[in-house]
Amino acid sequence: MTVLLQIDGVSKRYGGVQALNDVSFRVDRGRIKGMIGPNGAGKTSLFNCVCGVLRVDSGHIRYAGRDLHGLAPHRRARLGIARTFQTLELFRELTVLENLMVPVDAEARRGMLADALRLPRARFEENRAGERARALLHFLGIAEVAGIPGGDLAIGIQRRVELGRALALRPTLLLLDEPAAGLDSRETAELAGVLSRIRERFGTTMLLVDHDMSLVMRVCDDIAVLDYGRLIAEGPPERIREDPTVVRAYLGGSAA
Amino acid sequence: MSGPASRNRRLGLAAVVAAVALLPAFESDFQRGLDSDAVIIALLVLSVVVLTGFVGQISFCQYSFAAMGAFTVGALMDGHGWSFWLALPVGVAVAVLAGVLVGIPALRLSGLLLAVLTVAVALFTDRFLLVTGTWDGFSGGAVPWHPSRPSLLGAPLAGSYAYYLFALAILCVAVLLVWNLRRGRAGRVLRAVRDSELAAATVGLDVTAWKLAAFGLSAGIAGLAGALLAVRIGSVSPGSYDFLHSVQLTALATVMGVSAIAAAPAAGIATVFGPELLSGIAVSSTWFPLLIGATLILQLVLVPEGAVVRTRHDMARLARLVSGRRGRDPAVAEVAR
Repeated sequence: MTVLLQIDGVSKRYGGVQALNDVSFRVDRGRIKGMIGPNGAGKTSLFNCVCGVLRVDSGHIRYAGRDLHGLAPHRRARLGIARTFQTLELFRELTVLENLMVPVDAEARRGMLADALRLPRARFEENRAGERARALLHFLGIAEVAGIPGGDLAIGIQRRVELGRALALRPTLLLLDEPAAGLDSRETAELAGVLSRIRERFGTTMLLVDHDMSLVMRVCDDIAVLDYGRLIAEGPPERIREDPTVVRAYLGGSAA
Repeated sequence: MSGPASRNRRLGLAAVVAAVALLPAFESDFQRGLDSDAVIIALLVLSVVVLTGFVGQISFCQYSFAAMGAFTVGALMDGHGWSFWLALPVGVAVAVLAGVLVGIPALRLSGLLLAVLTVAVALFTDRFLLVTGTWDGFSGGAVPWHPSRPSLLGAPLAGSYAYYLFALAILCVAVLLVWNLRRGRAGRVLRAVRDSELAAATVGLDVTAWKLAAFGLSAGIAGLAGALLAVRIGSVSPGSYDFLHSVQLTALATVMGVSAIAAAPAAGIATVFGPELLSGIAVSSTWFPLLIGATLILQLVLVPEGAVVRTRHDMARLARLVSGRRGRDPAVAEVAR
């Protein structure tokens, strides 16, 4: 099994808070890795470091054998790293279809002049973007909201659209930041199904952060546990569930 | 895209353009001069629509970009004997460059700070760059540049009607190109950047490059307008491009609605012919500006989206009401969009 993402001794500090403290783990190709931990454990910070929104203080992040150091977020996206956001970041004024077209637009190689003159190449790429977006909307079962502005949708649908937007990038690695937050139990179960289908269909490797243990335990092949910016445990779900350190730090009495 | 509704719209638009092109044939030279000014103002408002309407960036230095175009054309034509057709693209290129340069610090600023930055750029241009003695090779010094009107394919543009038609054609092409940009990828990407820069970057958009492109495009359109104005007046002096003009322009674009391309022609017509129409009304000239100012403030409070945008919405609602009795008309859905 080959390593896709290698987190190697990553630390990040803001002001007086040590958000990440020498964290190391790896995500293997084709697997779904879970990342859990209490609020403030550093999960979102780690995501931000991987996708390039934050700069690490020390340590290395290697993706497909390449050190991502100093690479801008949009370059990382073009290498195949896509993400969703815990605090929804849809393009609120764009329709759902347009939201999914933007990642395809981003990889287009034509200049603005081709668009202004509506050259054949521009029309061709425009159609391609529309087709890819529509196909994904069907795949995710949200084709009926294609024409609605992103900001006008219910939270559950917005999360689904964000997932679609990330997939429109045709990612190799998908970072999912609390995709089940704000979803009811039925929607969460649906989401678990969607994630499995994504892996089957596209072979996407995923790193999943969520507080919903039913989701994490159900879909993840193995799990990393963070607490106060440190990695405190790592392993398959059944072992994590019984790990005394994890139970003490995170699961408390309720899930044990 | 090619249904009967859009064909009707195209025909309607063609009829309007034809009428606007033909009407000045029956006017005086003075009036045609004003018509050309209206076209140039429309181009300038279009430059604001690109910057403010598309990417949500604010600018109070559009006339400084226009000055880049105007003075470059003036200096090259009058100072170096260049042809207008060579000087024009250089003038536009200089304006684009100026726009990108202003765009670089603007990447890190937004809202009020960006406004202050552009004011600084405008004041730098007015109070330093164009002042006699700073760089007379560009500003012309004590004697303004006098670029003469060119001829196009053997037809001289010296006549007021010919020049008006020339400027109108350029405006139409510019509007068409911006319209294409807006409804295609560039429009989508720029709106995406305006909605969430964070998300835009993580789906692979080079936010910096797109913002700079918007600044460059906006400044280029303004520079084009400046060059047209230089040749229309036949003289390039700093007074025509000062900071207050920029402020008025941005205010005007805001009142018309920066999100609509149609705001550009509407603003051109309003600035040039509004005062003419109102001059017939007998109100003391002291009170009149006050009245106008108060009306504008009221309008901004009550119709913040802009006059053109609101009118379009109202028309669409009216069309829906009318068609509601006769069943749904597919044309209405098109208008309502």
